[in-house]
Amino acid sequence: MGDTLITVIAIILAAILMFVFPLMTMSDRTDDVSQLTVETATTEFVDDVRTTGKLTMDKYSRFVEDISSTGNTYDVEMEAQILDENPGKKTTQAEPTKIGENVYYTMYTSQIMDSINPENGQTRTLALKEGDIFSVNVKNTNTTLSQQLKNFFYSVTGNDTYTIAAEHAGIVTANGAGN
Amino acid sequence: MKYQSLAVIFIIIILPISMILTSYVQNQVKTLELQTSYDTKLTNATYDALKAYQLNAINSSTSDLANSKLRDIEASVNTFFNSMATHFNMDGYNKEILQEYVPALVYTMYDGFYIYSPFTNTLEEADEGATYSNGDEIYGLKPYIFYSARYNTGIIDVVITYSLDNYITVQGTINGAPVNKSGYLLDNIGGTTTARTYRGVPIKSSEVLVEDVRYTNSDGTLGSINDCTYIKVNGVKYYNDNGTWFSILNGERYNQGSSFSETNSAALMYYNDSYEFTSWVRDNLGGLMSHDAVDTITGERIEETVDYNIFSTDRNKSIEDTDSNFNEHRRAIIKYSIQKNLSIAIANYNNYANAESPNFQMPELKEDEWDKIINNISIISFMQGLSIGGKIYNGYTIVTNTDNEEVVALDSIYIRTTDNQYHKATDTDIGTNIAGANLNVDFERKTVTNGQTTQYYYPHEELGCYSSIVGQTKVEVTDINDYMEEKYSSAQNRNLAIEYFTALGRERYGMYRTNNNPDVEVEKFR
Repeated sequence: MGDTLITVIAIILAAILMFVFPLMTMSDRTDDVSQLTVETATTEFVDDVRTTGKLTMDKYSRFVEDISSTGNTYDVEMEAQILDENPGKKTTQAEPTKIGENVYYTMYTSQIMDSINPENGQTRTLALKEGDIFSVNVKNTNTTLSQQLKNFFYSVTGNDTYTIAAEHAGIVTANGAGN
Repeated sequence: MKYQSLAVIFIIIILPISMILTSYVQNQVKTLELQTSYDTKLTNATYDALKAYQLNAINSSTSDLANSKLRDIEASVNTFFNSMATHFNMDGYNKEILQEYVPALVYTMYDGFYIYSPFTNTLEEADEGATYSNGDEIYGLKPYIFYSARYNTGIIDVVITYSLDNYITVQGTINGAPVNKSGYLLDNIGGTTTARTYRGVPIKSSEVLVEDVRYTNSDGTLGSINDCTYIKVNGVKYYNDNGTWFSILNGERYNQGSSFSETNSAALMYYNDSYEFTSWVRDNLGGLMSHDAVDTITGERIEETVDYNIFSTDRNKSIEDTDSNFNEHRRAIIKYSIQKNLSIAIANYNNYANAESPNFQMPELKEDEWDKIINNISIISFMQGLSIGGKIYNGYTIVTNTDNEEVVALDSIYIRTTDNQYHKATDTDIGTNIAGANLNVDFERKTVTNGQTTQYYYPHEELGCYSSIVGQTKVEVTDINDYMEEKYSSAQNRNLAIEYFTALGRERYGMYRTNNNPDVEVEKFR
């Protein structure tokens, strides 16, 4: 009787060790690779926008496609800080020995999407200028296999847990509008 | 064997494999991460270099002269290496150490380019105490290389130097007679020498220009005049202070002996000269084919595969259209000239680099990157040889500059409106209340200092408009020439087209040119 119980426990233990453990390590690796893909794609996307000064739906879709190819779903947050030199100019005009402060106003994801979504069948471009700042923040929204397994064994669950995340930001170096 | 033992053996086998795999993948991740972060750092350093060049050039009244340009570029190179040191956490490392990883920096200018890379100094006669001696290996700016090609058909033997727009210089012999001519190639010019039209848009034959100016007097006090009348001749602005004309050099005011005419007709002169020059080119060089172009030194053919007439209006294209024969050819020459010299510079770097450093190679630039280089002044930086884990870093970056006095591009003309704003020329929100048009650098902040006080000023007080300058939400992306032609012919905004084409002509005419005779240029404006 006791022997049977031990055998059952041994089988369960062996199953965990032989199946779940490799599965966990492999799924961890998958996440690593996804992380790498996402990070590379994000950096490339941001640097492309930075050096051309142009954001189009085409570029954005390609980026989303790239990161989705990892099999996860992501939340993409974009932010464009637009440099406004006018307040500074006013300060200088009033007092020639002072350089006024530069002001940035910010466009967030929804506003950026609004300005690149095709309208009347026409593709549109969000043009940024030299001195603007563009940043992108990516997090996965689904629970990856490795997260599920971890949650099963030791609970780390919560709404905000993500394992794949990437962010990149930088100053725009070219004027996007024009020919 | 018991299940437990099986499991243990399994673990013994799997654990090391998984550990090695983990560290391998992590290494790969690190390498790629490093690579992307280096790319970003290189872009940032190059942007800093460009910003330094821009700032120096805008604040200097002589930025278009060769020795002053060299100084600005040297400063920009220093900024690049300082910025690299900071970005790479290599503070304290000096330029000499970082230079080992930078085979070349390229500054593409209006009609040629500079390469910053090592070379062997050739100095046949040296003064005593000279900084460099013959045979020294120097890391510095090499001589300026023009975007030129030689054409030799027997009757015609000329070198044509191209530029970022349709300004060309022709030097050589035609039918044995020496020629040295330069000018803009433009079709679509109509009217007479006193009343020109371009694309059907009349050009203002005379205008009075005003801007705010600040300067240092000879006694060291700072002076300023608002809405001062000025003219721009050969890259120098001359201001009118109640009849006394003066120019500004390094912030200091220099009164001129004689005066100029208040009204200037630079725009008209631009279109007249272009008309004359274009007809001259068609008459004398009209037969030149693209396969006639050969390398100025080696004599190799530049365009082997295709053949077309360079200055013709085939396919109903005007010479200034972006896809005209002339522009195709111009692009091919510029690309050839940069590619050739740059690959030589990078290949040569191996002769100067340390024995242990890797073999430097010229990366292949993409077509859209060439587009950036060919249309604007730009800095191309290369970095190679840094170890990033699994491999050796090999990267390059291109940053283009749109605000400068080197080139008046089609989109460098900003439009002023009477509501105290300035706009991009293709702003769709622009009204009919046009006040004038100026070059974009005239809206940038300038500095004047007398050693104690530094003052800042903007030549034009207008504020940037929010739909085309600050944010660029309402800018039409189109061919500006066609856009303006349409605005005029459909009577939507005739003033806009008139001001735009007049300003374009005026600003291009006022640029500094190496081939200009300053005395002759100045006389035209008396």
